[in-house]
Amino acid sequence: MLNENTTLWRRWADLADKFPDKTAVIHWVAGEEPYRWTYSKLIETANKFSNLILDGGIKKGEVCAVIIRHNPFFYPLYLGISGTGALPAVLAYPNPRLHPDKFRQGLAGMSERSGLDHIFTEKDLEPIIRPFVDSEQSTVNDLFFPLEWNLDDVNLLQNRDKLESIRDSVSPTEPLLLQHSSGTTGIQKPVVLSHTAILQHANNLSEALGLTSDDIVASWLPLYHDMGLIGCFHTPLAFGIPIIQLDPFEWVLAPVILLEAMTKERATFAWLPNFAYNILADKVKDHELEEVNLASIKMLINCSEPVRSESHNKFAARFKKYGFNPSALGASFAMAETTFAVTQTERNKRASEVTVDRNKLSQGFVEIANDDKNSRTCVSSGKLINGCQVKIVDENRNPLGNFFVGEIAVKSVSMFDGYRNYPEKTEAVLDSDGWYYTGDYGFMYEDEIYVIGRKKDIIIVAGKNIYPEDVEDIISKVSGVIPGRVVAFGEDDPELGTEQISVIVETNIAEKSEFKKLKLDIIKAGIDVDINIHKVYIVPARWLIKSSAGKPSRKANKERILNHNDELIWSDK
Amino acid sequence: MISERMYKIICKTLGLEPGEVEIKDETLANQVPGWDSLNHVNVITAIEKDYAVRFKSIEVLKCKNVGDLQKLVDSKTNI
Repeated sequence: MLNENTTLWRRWADLADKFPDKTAVIHWVAGEEPYRWTYSKLIETANKFSNLILDGGIKKGEVCAVIIRHNPFFYPLYLGISGTGALPAVLAYPNPRLHPDKFRQGLAGMSERSGLDHIFTEKDLEPIIRPFVDSEQSTVNDLFFPLEWNLDDVNLLQNRDKLESIRDSVSPTEPLLLQHSSGTTGIQKPVVLSHTAILQHANNLSEALGLTSDDIVASWLPLYHDMGLIGCFHTPLAFGIPIIQLDPFEWVLAPVILLEAMTKERATFAWLPNFAYNILADKVKDHELEEVNLASIKMLINCSEPVRSESHNKFAARFKKYGFNPSALGASFAMAETTFAVTQTERNKRASEVTVDRNKLSQGFVEIANDDKNSRTCVSSGKLINGCQVKIVDENRNPLGNFFVGEIAVKSVSMFDGYRNYPEKTEAVLDSDGWYYTGDYGFMYEDEIYVIGRKKDIIIVAGKNIYPEDVEDIISKVSGVIPGRVVAFGEDDPELGTEQISVIVETNIAEKSEFKKLKLDIIKAGIDVDINIHKVYIVPARWLIKSSAGKPSRKANKERILNHNDELIWSDK
Repeated sequence: MISERMYKIICKTLGLEPGEVEIKDETLANQVPGWDSLNHVNVITAIEKDYAVRFKSIEVLKCKNVGDLQKLVDSKTNI
């Protein structure tokens, strides 16, 4: 049991004192020897960063955005920021697809809400970020390039007393970090978490998982995502077990590197979004698996997307002969607002499944299916972990009984205090009794929670939340598309085990021969903001069904597109 | 230089009409419509199948652009 009445810095320093030679982070790069941080070396280097950060004029409580691609010095920098009482906020490294203006627009949105004070980044990104820092809407005071700093010359005694005094002044209930909910260009919701919240969560989750000092977590997840940052980085680091951190950019191009890292380091836990099970099972080639052995895996935790039975089945079938135990297929329901996990499946037991009547489910009732024809197999995300509560509610937030589908509301001891500088959003999701309304739909069955979809229209592509409004705004500006007459929605991709983005656009172009060019222009407009549009449906003016508010209805038009053969619809994919 | 054969495989895998996009040696995957991380594996698999070659993931990771990918194919097919 971890002491919850301390700060993370004190916890990390304590681990470095007690287990100086224990591995803290294994920084993995494909085809190279990994870089290993022991707890003592990590804290010593973090202390050097703290010294330089303090010299840079950064003060306790200020928000330091970190935009650095997979680099071994990211970890001590992150800890070093925390060691000055400032709040690290990991932001996504700009994908080369993303237009610099859109990246700066995202920064401006975060700056406005989160009040970013400083940015720590790479020298190569200066031409992209500097114009934002110098702009009027920026709250950012400085741009730092910590990978250029000379750590060898740092005198740890110079600021020792000042740093100790600052560290003593940090209360465990004060903010530790700031993270942003997903969002492409518009709606990012900043969540601030305290030291206590992280430590309580680490205690409750490690108990639910039965973590021991011999465990090792492997992750390719980006650290700006709660599953990567809290599940795979903070929890093991606070608990005192190693993390193998892969480069997300490398993993998506070469998924097998996760299996190689797990095999070589004998990893025991990993968190994965559902689509990763399909990618690993379907796309990794046999000749690359010759040395893979997954017998050390105690649990793979499926999280961030609705869990699919088919994905678990195909993963188990493919990797059983490589030593993978199907009982290690676990799942969790988690979100940044509750620090991370709310529910977790049990160890040594594959995530439960229940096959229900699909029609009844769509009407809001849970009824065990009598035949396979019209059934849907739902996968459990497990039981509540300690410190959490859950209820299923109707649209007026009244609790529903068992066997009803509704919105999932949660309470947690490690709950956030609300979105930073976003009271109207906080008020919309957090009630006066401390219940957070997740926007996820699901049901309880035999004390386990089953998540089956979203209340809102958010599209979840490979674990990443995409707001349809963002897509529609961008596509509305494409020449040939009637402005405002666009609908974006998530279309199921069973092969990949995730959703893909589809758009329906109205046009006045009559010549079908010009539709291919329009489709390509739409896809290119998406590429500029790092959104991959998978399918384009082109329809004539006044085709889209409007909602009562006068806007094109996403739900109705999605159903119309997918359920009816209409000769007015053009799509070549 | 990108061969006509590879150009066609890429277009076919991504649902593009030949002639719709320009792909040169220095073209990056992310500059080709539809060639995102989820489709990357499909493109590589289609190239392997068509040329009857096998890539190691690390070999593909080292390719910085389409020209590098063509060179990798050429090295496997001894062209």
